[in-house]
Amino acid sequence: MRNLDVFGSTRSAVTVAAAIGLLALTCSSTAHAQDNGVTPSEISIGAIGALTGPLAFIGTPGRDSMTVAFNEINANGGVCGRKLHLGFEHASSPAESIAAVKKLVEQDKVFILVLASGSTGAAAAADYVRQAGVPTYNIYGSTPIIRNPFAKNVFHGAVVPVEVSAAALISMFYDDGYMPKKFGILAGTYAFPQATLKAAQDILKQKGRDFTVEQFDIGARDFTSQLVALQRQSVDSVLVLGSFSEAGFAIKQAREMGMANARWVVDGSAVSTAIIPILGNADGIRGYYNAPAFPGQTPATREFEARLKKHLGSMPQGRPSVYDLIGYGSGYVVAEAIKATNCQLTRDHLIDAWSNLKDAGPAVLGGLDITFPESYTPTDHQGVYRIGAAIVKDGQWQVYRVIDKP
Amino acid sequence: MLSQLGFVVLAGIKFGALYALTALGLVVVHKATKTVNFAHGAFAMLGAFGSFLIVVNWGWPYWAAYLMIPIAIGVIAATIEFLILRRLRQADMFTVVIATVFLGIALSEGFRLTYNTELLAVPSLFAAPPFIVAGVVITRDTMWVIVGALLAALACIAVFRYGRIGRGMRAMAANIRGAQLCGYSIDGVYMLAWFLGGVLAGLTGVFIAPVTGVSVDLSIAIITAGFVAGVIGGFDSPRGAVLGGLLLGVAESLSAAYGSSAMKNCISFLLLFLVLMWRPQGLFPERSGRSV
Amino acid sequence: MSERRLGGRPDLTALGPALLVLVCTAVGLGLDSYPQYVIAVATISMVVGIALVVLVGLARCITLASGSIMAIGGYASTLAVANLHLPYLVTLVLAILAGGVAGWIIAFPGTRFRGHNLAMVTLVFQSVAIILIREATWLTGGAEGIHVPPPEIFGLVIASDRAFLILIGTASAVMTLAVTILVRGPFGKNLQAVAGNEIAAEAFGASVRGYLTAAFVVSSVAIAFAGALLAPRVRILDPDSFGVLDSVFMLAYPIIGGMHSVWGGLLGGGGLRVLPELLRPVADYQELFFAALVIFVVMFFPGGLTELIRRTTSTFKQHPTRVSASSSALPACAAVSFETGQRADELLVVKGVDKHFEALHAVNAASLSVPMGGIHGLIGPNGAGKTSLFNIISGFLAADGGRVAFAGTSLLELRPRDRIGLGITRTFQNVAIFGQLSCLDNVIIGLGRNPVIHAMAASLDHFVGGAATQDAKHRALVALEAVGLADHGTSRAGSLSLGAQRRLEIARAIVSQPRLILLDEPVSGVAESETEELRDLLIRINAERNIALLVVEHNIPFVAKLCQSLSVMGAGRIVAQGSPAEVISLPIVRQLYFGEQVTA
Repeated sequence: MRNLDVFGSTRSAVTVAAAIGLLALTCSSTAHAQDNGVTPSEISIGAIGALTGPLAFIGTPGRDSMTVAFNEINANGGVCGRKLHLGFEHASSPAESIAAVKKLVEQDKVFILVLASGSTGAAAAADYVRQAGVPTYNIYGSTPIIRNPFAKNVFHGAVVPVEVSAAALISMFYDDGYMPKKFGILAGTYAFPQATLKAAQDILKQKGRDFTVEQFDIGARDFTSQLVALQRQSVDSVLVLGSFSEAGFAIKQAREMGMANARWVVDGSAVSTAIIPILGNADGIRGYYNAPAFPGQTPATREFEARLKKHLGSMPQGRPSVYDLIGYGSGYVVAEAIKATNCQLTRDHLIDAWSNLKDAGPAVLGGLDITFPESYTPTDHQGVYRIGAAIVKDGQWQVYRVIDKP
Repeated sequence: MLSQLGFVVLAGIKFGALYALTALGLVVVHKATKTVNFAHGAFAMLGAFGSFLIVVNWGWPYWAAYLMIPIAIGVIAATIEFLILRRLRQADMFTVVIATVFLGIALSEGFRLTYNTELLAVPSLFAAPPFIVAGVVITRDTMWVIVGALLAALACIAVFRYGRIGRGMRAMAANIRGAQLCGYSIDGVYMLAWFLGGVLAGLTGVFIAPVTGVSVDLSIAIITAGFVAGVIGGFDSPRGAVLGGLLLGVAESLSAAYGSSAMKNCISFLLLFLVLMWRPQGLFPERSGRSV
Repeated sequence: MSERRLGGRPDLTALGPALLVLVCTAVGLGLDSYPQYVIAVATISMVVGIALVVLVGLARCITLASGSIMAIGGYASTLAVANLHLPYLVTLVLAILAGGVAGWIIAFPGTRFRGHNLAMVTLVFQSVAIILIREATWLTGGAEGIHVPPPEIFGLVIASDRAFLILIGTASAVMTLAVTILVRGPFGKNLQAVAGNEIAAEAFGASVRGYLTAAFVVSSVAIAFAGALLAPRVRILDPDSFGVLDSVFMLAYPIIGGMHSVWGGLLGGGGLRVLPELLRPVADYQELFFAALVIFVVMFFPGGLTELIRRTTSTFKQHPTRVSASSSALPACAAVSFETGQRADELLVVKGVDKHFEALHAVNAASLSVPMGGIHGLIGPNGAGKTSLFNIISGFLAADGGRVAFAGTSLLELRPRDRIGLGITRTFQNVAIFGQLSCLDNVIIGLGRNPVIHAMAASLDHFVGGAATQDAKHRALVALEAVGLADHGTSRAGSLSLGAQRRLEIARAIVSQPRLILLDEPVSGVAESETEELRDLLIRINAERNIALLVVEHNIPFVAKLCQSLSVMGAGRIVAQGSPAEVISLPIVRQLYFGEQVTA
């Protein structure tokens, strides 16, 4: 006698139907562009970066400022008679990044992919694009795992490799006649500071300098133990590798503990207006900057700030940041690379043209000159080697020196 | 050597006092309603943000923040209890846990979307120079956090133990039917408990704002520390929450200083684990009962 | 009398979930590479969802360690491929082993706690595991992460999205099938029983610690397997992708999908994993939306999506189906062999048992005996110590002194769950049936074939429709018929009336053909008419099957007409013993109960 589980099979059937319905939703795709992202009226540029979560301070400015750049370029007639269209997808972790990149490259069929993501997500995406061959522009990632191995379709823009930034950081300890006696490094345990830490350690070992390393968790606010350890070693020169909030609170605490006379040099991500309210008086703090001038330091940057504010409606605290400047400049570099193909808009021509691009930047196309110009060769896809040295003076950051490739 | 130990212990006590206040908020709600409010950290973050609004944006004095924020957050918490948690009273534990966890996430995200910033700095309360005792620098702010947070915690414990409010909550926790028969209303007591929890969260936020600034990850950091402190101390014991918080803060600080600073979380969690294995009812439970 | 076939039908419904996974895979094969990626990753999340249904839904254990388990599986597989150059399929097995070990490690302290403490233990594991992975830079590449080499299967390199989808979809389907077989079979039933009522489960041979550990191990195996499948797809493995927040998001899978069924795990896992792709246009608000959705579902659809689907498709009322069995097929009862030195007619001997609760002398030198096939009652006013003595006999309370022997074997050193093997079962004062299981399943558990490994094997047997499953079902049906519940075989036990539940308990107690049943207040709270029926039932069972009964009760008339002999307890001592007629009229007994003065 059969015990008919009518219940079960009806339920199962509905569940299956629901699942397939969900799938069908996923697969509804927007209109496909031409095979390589170029239509008679539009060139499609894809970008990935973090729009939410702890790394949103990188991706959101990237999106905003690239949009400003593209708007300006499009207002001036675009490139090769076509408008530039930016499709920015949120992605932070490797899983999200692969999904976003696949959507952009395989479904939306973009002409160029921009990696506006700084961490492991970018590394995963880079891994993928090496296989896929689509022209890719990494504008924020400095870790080695994004750059190795070399791929002829991947270009690295304004953010220099960690070896260069670490060298710049160390050199700033010697500026203005200071003689560092004992080095200390305060580094975050997450991906980005760790890469810089490794590079800095190598350089200091090469120079035969004595140093001690203390580490902290991402988002740490209490540095008593680390600072006590540094004090114990009579450290007088401290390199802080972390975000502006981490660096800010570390220095504030250090001053309260009596380490006021040390020289502080902070990583580029800490060179932001937001660090100043944390410390009250931040004069004397140094750090590197991936642009020739800090926002507000030159007329061009002041104009940029105005344009960004117009685009956003209001200016969030800490913006424009270096990621805004770089995003704007990178948008123009993309346009110039496309132009350099003499409007032969295929991926191969683009890669060729880009590999021979010289001194690309906003100034060439009538934009604001706020970034370092980028130059590429077929064997060296690092666009910028120059880096700015910045210091807080009278409550404002300013770039006081430009460091060329060591 | 000794002064360095002093620094480390002092930092531990400062954060410990903040953890204690947080854990107390969790324990108060749990004692009355048998739920752990995982959105507590988000409430504290909102309190910290409120402090930024009042002191930095509007330029009012600090005492205004200390008075207004806890009450505001308490009201928000009670409202949320009324709107959302009331429906979930019959649900099983996992559902409630998930609900409060995602509530916390929703609040944090809501804050991030409206005020898109990485960190908001809040100035110190006192500009006057710090004290120096035996080579250890004690800023007035640190003093204020330790004394203020602990006093607030003790005041709350007193209210809970001796006030009618507290009696109602404890009665309800012990025997709902009996308490109802004695005239206490479930709805009233639960809302009151959440209000008190919100007040404590808001207070934590105001105290912590100058110490850490206001950021989205504050909510996770606070709830984690508060939860761990609550379990160490004994989840149903207000006294245990305070002592557990202090113990956690000092242990974290010591392990970061003398162990490895990267492993700070690891070590404090292992400490917690040992406590759990040795005394699962917590180090300072309210009464030693026989587990049935 | 209907004929019975030997062996039965395979449980084909267990193929359903795995088939759904394969259907999704098949649908994906016809699509572009981006959807193929999404579907592949979604099937991995389906496996995670099912694993969490086992742990959170069935075993009712909260876990915040899913992220670290996934990481462990991913890293185990990747490191084995990269450093040891093992074939990918072999590393999948390694990942399973690593997950199993991790689950066992968590279970070791984890099964001692519930609720917040358990959440804490899993949180500790999660944090420590991720920190260790991050710090072991020499091995794992640290926070920066490591490249995951593409998998190679029998010389074929899996690089295209199509190939990945086939590999991942098939592997996920296989793991789904394995877990479904466990869930639908006796393992899943016993797990629910253990989570529902620990004491009753222990009394019938199911070790609580054993099953909860198995739940942790099984779910960790599946989650680690999922991690190993995911690793090559995302190309870079880094510890921060598997943090506490990710564990929390994974907890949402069973909550949204439905905690108590495998379908729930599939729907929740697949659906929530696909959701971010659908939310791309509003990526800024993605997490807020996600959180709001979870809160909404939790508030208005408790039980998740599967509950919602069930309610909307529930146009059929569930008719209890009559299942019958021929009583002529009842196997013979096993004989009991006595140890030498034991009086042949005394089955249970209690001698001089003592129990102190601090200052209270709860049981004071109590002695009684139950003859073979006899019915013995134990009565006394509240606080006399009956329950304590009863719990000592049934193994849930340790004695301070004395002897308890069953057919010559001493019971005092045995665990409660060892008694069923000797032929002792019991019922409970507060009805301890497993409410969420069917009546048939409740009685099947009463057979006592419940050690964890045995139940796992029985699940496989259940899937293929083997003889053992048929035998168990048959015996259970016979028992249900004997207590008059044959009409309710497939009904949910929790939906029965109290009297019917008490009869179900008795069915559960007799199905293993015990020699002795311990009954704890069997008619407490039962209406007068049902009391008579229960009494007649017990007398019948005793007569037909030669099962001895020891009955603790307050209802004197019930006991008087049921029992052949009585012991009366007062203030911890046995104050009277004999036939009901003799004992009830004794002055000392009347004094105990009614406070009558003993006239000199």
